[in-house]
Amino acid sequence: MEVPMDPLFLAWSYFRRRKFQRCADICTKVLEDSPYDQESDSSLLMSEATWSLKTRALTEMVYIDEVDVDQEGIAEMMLDENAIAQVTRPGTSLRLPGTSQGGGPTPAVRPVTQSGRPITGFVRPSTQSGRPGTMEQAIKTPRTAHTARPVTSSSGRFVRLGTASMLTNPDGPFINLSRLNLAKYAQKPSLSRTLFEYIFHHENDVKNALDLAALATEHAQFKDWWWKVQLGKCYYRLGLHREAEKQFRSALNHQEVVDTYLYLAKVYQRLDQPVTALNLFKQGLDHFPGEVTLLTGIARIHEEMNNMTSATEYYKDVLKQDNTHVEAIACIGSNHFYTDQSEIALRFYRRLLQMGVYNCQLYNNLGLCCFYAQQYDMTLSSFERALALVSSDEEQADVWYNLGHVAVGIGNLPLAYQCFKLALAFNNDHAEAYNNLAVLELRKGRIEQSKAFLQTAASLAPQMYEPHFNLAILTDKVGDLQSSYAAARKSEEAFPEHVDTQQILKTLKQHFAEL
Amino acid sequence: MSAGSSEMKDLMASSKWLDAHYDPVANLYTFTSCVALADLHGDGENKLVVGDLGTGLCNMKLKVYRGTGLLSENTLLDLPTGLVSFLMEQHEPRTPAVAVASGPFIYVYKNLRPYFKFTLPPLEVNPLEQDLWSQAKEDMIDPMSLKEMLESIRDKADIPLSARSLRFLMLDLQEMVTFVNLHKEQPIRRQTVITCINTLKKNMADEDAVSCLVIGTESKDVYVLDPEAFTILSKMTLPSVPTLMDVTGQFDVEFRITVACRDGNIYILRRDSPKPKYCIELSSHPVGLVRIGKNVVVGCAQETLHGYTQKGKKLWTTYLPAPVTTMGLMDLPCRGFQAVLVALSNCEVHLYRDKNLLSIIKTPDVVTSICFGRYGREDGTLIMTTKGGGLIVKILKRTAVFDERDTAPGPPLAQSIRLNVPKKTKLYVDQTMRERENAVAMHRAFQMDLSRLRLAAARAYVKALESSLTPMSASLSEPLKMNAVVQGLGPSFKLTLNIQNTAASRPVMNLAICFLYDEKLYSMRTAFFKIPLLVPGLNYPIDTFVECLSDKGISDIIKVFVLREGKSAPLLTAHINMPVSEGLALN
Repeated sequence: MEVPMDPLFLAWSYFRRRKFQRCADICTKVLEDSPYDQESDSSLLMSEATWSLKTRALTEMVYIDEVDVDQEGIAEMMLDENAIAQVTRPGTSLRLPGTSQGGGPTPAVRPVTQSGRPITGFVRPSTQSGRPGTMEQAIKTPRTAHTARPVTSSSGRFVRLGTASMLTNPDGPFINLSRLNLAKYAQKPSLSRTLFEYIFHHENDVKNALDLAALATEHAQFKDWWWKVQLGKCYYRLGLHREAEKQFRSALNHQEVVDTYLYLAKVYQRLDQPVTALNLFKQGLDHFPGEVTLLTGIARIHEEMNNMTSATEYYKDVLKQDNTHVEAIACIGSNHFYTDQSEIALRFYRRLLQMGVYNCQLYNNLGLCCFYAQQYDMTLSSFERALALVSSDEEQADVWYNLGHVAVGIGNLPLAYQCFKLALAFNNDHAEAYNNLAVLELRKGRIEQSKAFLQTAASLAPQMYEPHFNLAILTDKVGDLQSSYAAARKSEEAFPEHVDTQQILKTLKQHFAEL
Repeated sequence: MSAGSSEMKDLMASSKWLDAHYDPVANLYTFTSCVALADLHGDGENKLVVGDLGTGLCNMKLKVYRGTGLLSENTLLDLPTGLVSFLMEQHEPRTPAVAVASGPFIYVYKNLRPYFKFTLPPLEVNPLEQDLWSQAKEDMIDPMSLKEMLESIRDKADIPLSARSLRFLMLDLQEMVTFVNLHKEQPIRRQTVITCINTLKKNMADEDAVSCLVIGTESKDVYVLDPEAFTILSKMTLPSVPTLMDVTGQFDVEFRITVACRDGNIYILRRDSPKPKYCIELSSHPVGLVRIGKNVVVGCAQETLHGYTQKGKKLWTTYLPAPVTTMGLMDLPCRGFQAVLVALSNCEVHLYRDKNLLSIIKTPDVVTSICFGRYGREDGTLIMTTKGGGLIVKILKRTAVFDERDTAPGPPLAQSIRLNVPKKTKLYVDQTMRERENAVAMHRAFQMDLSRLRLAAARAYVKALESSLTPMSASLSEPLKMNAVVQGLGPSFKLTLNIQNTAASRPVMNLAICFLYDEKLYSMRTAFFKIPLLVPGLNYPIDTFVECLSDKGISDIIKVFVLREGKSAPLLTAHINMPVSEGLALN
């Protein structure tokens, strides 16, 4: 006769093997057999353990690292009451991307995102954010995944997680929060932590989580750093940044932990104090020299403040510690590409390929690098592979757009025309493709079409200066000086240092003054 | 850079002026033509006489300043266009009179009391117009036909209409009758207005000689008036309306009147010729006109300063950093120094002798009027009023020396800036070596890939064309373009389709729009509708609303087709990536 394994041990084993659903199922069964509430002494411990394990399993299923998730919602951006000074001093704010002091690349060399930042080599939540100038811009639909669309704080993800638990359990949630005696659980350190994580991550009920954390930290006589960090997390979620800062600071006094530094830096970034965040990271590095996450944090802040040279320095430091850090490799690579050293960028992207990153974007980048580094035999085959690996229409549009560039480079304009049109077929909002197509149309002498495309490009991507500038030239040639002036002014707004725009403005002013 | 900037500092730092007075709220709104310095009381102390324009509707005043204080104020009836002080007769005490030109009148003040009012001679009235109004007087013509007749005169006749008829043509139908009844009794007159005024010595060149008044009018005439009897001594006609005027010489001997006109030309009139003698054609509108000795300096709207000889020969051109607001002459006879003051819209006043910049004065506001001369008992006083109504008085230091220096720059500064060209890496060199060695193989590989790519692109392109996947139509008969914008946070979204007909001249009609979407996820009130005729070149935004039905945080693509009536294949297609609905639907 087979001896059945102890169900709790089996569940624990499943948990360790990250088979959370099965673990939870077994726990449910165990709890059904001996309900947690009604048992007396002997089996109480047992069912407590089962209960705790189940909460952990359920939490792990939906767990997201809080450190990395940072999406600023529309409400936070547009109705920010922390912002006092509207005009910041250069180099002290993340909000004005134009205020670079590190000699960042111009938009002529490196394209910018909707919020006016140079595009980065690695898409992560914070690279998509950035403050939209107007409410209109804020609620416009995203172009692709790489856009500057802000999300509301009750964004899709949080809502979904909160409701998912209800769907999976036919007889309601596992723990009924409203009937929970938080004070009782706060007394039991062994249970309270798992319960907190369950409430915070699985139920997404920050208010109850905060209550529990407050009671627990009181029980621990305000000496437990872990609870303080959790309190800080709750405050941060609720948008009480100053309170969060206080909790994290106090937690750091008890115990130096890398995570706490990261959370605190996140608070400072949200408060738009990048310099304080940088100092904090450096302070953290004194305690944890060479810590990769801290170094990456510094590099990201430098990148967001448009200081590419120092960002690259720190990414290089990251690579010294961890030579498989994808973000660092990708960022250094793209920086080399946009500083006219595509042969070095090629090396970095090849390294990514060796590491097993195998996707459309990478081949896309490789193809471009090969083309600009004059390795022509590899260019088109890379793009071919990129096309074979596409997973979405946007990616396909980007590949065709780049192929269009290659076609322009080799002087095959009909092919370029086809490529740009294909880019638009796959992604109807590809402003760059519209712009380039307009130039090709203009060469064919179809002025009306060209003008319509330029206007579309300008309305799709007001942050790009090219469509405005091209429109200024086109209308100038047609003789519509007033429109030309208006377009040139917009181009100047998007890229104040652009010499050609300045020149066209100058000649226009002369035209206006002349008799 | 170093040479240029240190020179600029040199021009500004060693200030040559004493700040005598600055009142930012003096409430003086005027232009250079309405400012004069004169010894009004014969006590050897010069006063500042200003024709204040007020707000342009009220508060027009003739103001007299002594020192830093206001001495007297006379109300003016209308906006002053010019103000001069001049000696009328030989009697003692020799106190100058003030002439203020405003509308068709010149008001002459002596001892700051109204003395005489001169009215310009009326112009000839169109006889047809005269006829019409006399008919109206006898009620033989109704307002509608009067209007029609006047309009035909306005369009055809050589002699323009009077102000009354022009006003009548502006009126609405119901106001016409009352207007006619109100005005029909008075005879019609055609009156012109004065645009500029200046003085001309009668027969002696002395400082305190009797002067004639010279006025330019909107009717393109220039009159010279007798100082005592105010009769017209001479009348000259210009091809355009004068705006700025400078006069030199004596009426009885020989004189030159330099007039800048509204057509952008400068005309030079001389004695005994009713028509201009010389003409200078400028490339843009004149803003300021100053005569130095025998040369004329003109500031133009193009941010330039030109020097011309008396006969209209161009001498030099200087480019200014900002547009000119006004210009004035700086004349220091005791030192034999003459220069031009040019006020710029960047709050600076530049001092030029010929084409050389001598000095820069920074002002707290944009200067609108400038006047240099003897004020009080001080010879070298510079008086400026600002756009915000301020009054600035500066006195030239007795020690000030303006050293002339040719400021024409050397080679451009950009020449010496080194470009930051990135170095080529060793890797690059290695790669080029590889390229050199395997050129043939690389070329072949590239060409083969290229033909494959062309095939792939052509296939994809044909597929896109056949199913009209692109957001712009390829057909020549309906060149359309569409792009879509989604707004909103959900569950309700607003879809805006921007449709444009990109044909040169042909409109497109009989089009319809149809949507294709997952009905489990979205609902639309109208998934099919017709669109109006599309005029070429215009953007037609078409709004519809989409409701998201799911609360699971998923999104899908909505396809939009533009269809032509009677054809099943779409003309063009747009794919709209719907954002995730972030609000929850109300049940």
